[in-house]
Amino acid sequence: MGFIRLIVFGFVGLSVLYLMISVYSRSVRRERLEKEFDADHPDNVDEDARDAYVAEGIAAYNSSIRPKLIGLVYVVPTIAIAAIIYMINEN
Amino acid sequence: MHRIKIAFRVLVFMFGWVILHYALPQHDIVRVVNTYQERQDLNDWTRIFWARPDDQSATIINRDVQFIQTVKKKTYLLGFVPRDTTEVMVYRNEDTGWSWPFYFKFDTASLQTEADDLRSTPEQPKWAVVTHYGWRNEYFSAFPNAVAIRPVDSPNVTIIPWFNIFFFVALMAAIAFIRAMWRQFRERTVDPIMDSAGHRVDEVQADIAESRGRISRWLGTWRSKK
Repeated sequence: MGFIRLIVFGFVGLSVLYLMISVYSRSVRRERLEKEFDADHPDNVDEDARDAYVAEGIAAYNSSIRPKLIGLVYVVPTIAIAAIIYMINEN
Repeated sequence: MHRIKIAFRVLVFMFGWVILHYALPQHDIVRVVNTYQERQDLNDWTRIFWARPDDQSATIINRDVQFIQTVKKKTYLLGFVPRDTTEVMVYRNEDTGWSWPFYFKFDTASLQTEADDLRSTPEQPKWAVVTHYGWRNEYFSAFPNAVAIRPVDSPNVTIIPWFNIFFFVALMAAIAFIRAMWRQFRERTVDPIMDSAGHRVDEVQADIAESRGRISRWLGTWRSKK
């Protein structure tokens, strides 16, 4: 029962962390794309071109490996717990 | 306001320090004298100083607990500065199971056997390093929980607290990361909303000012003209 409690609360906590990091990572990427576009086109007035550039960059980000790496949020603590269990209980 | 802020920060810091001092592993250099097992009552507030090895132990009001009696090398500064004197120290030996604090200790019986194996006399001491968490307090009958014991050749060994080093580096990194996330969230999400809200408040206030002006002008028409 304690094991199930740990799994459930751990999963909920890590999911919150996963969502926060996903949003953060995408937001940082979007900001960088906006700044890149503004630096390349200092006197641009075409908002649609800017939006298209950013949307393209976000699509490229979504299909890259970076957002998948955030899945490590689930993997690393699981490995850490397994390592602690082994080190504490082996003789 | 500034003072309240500082007081709040000091309180948060102290609370965090107390929790970490209780829960993080510490190492003692000891000589095991004896081990014993004793029934403990668990039905008052000192329950917080005992572990919860399994689920039925959450409701029972007494159970047997194993103890390890030792003579321990005294230290200064959380164990960083060794001293020549010794004191007695009694550890409890309990499973922590799957619950707080997260040591995932299930080998209580094995640890008790290892401790028994290391028993020695003052004339022919066998020294060992005990890893433990928790506090010894005679008045509350609180005992630190031993989680590991390993024999050492001499009582003058240097112990490097690898886990605590790693833990504090990770804690700093996590705090820095959360700070960066919060700043990004404020810059990209909160500030634009606040800006547009502030703009709307300005418009409403301008409207109110204008209608007030209208009312006072209307009132003015009732005043006697000079």
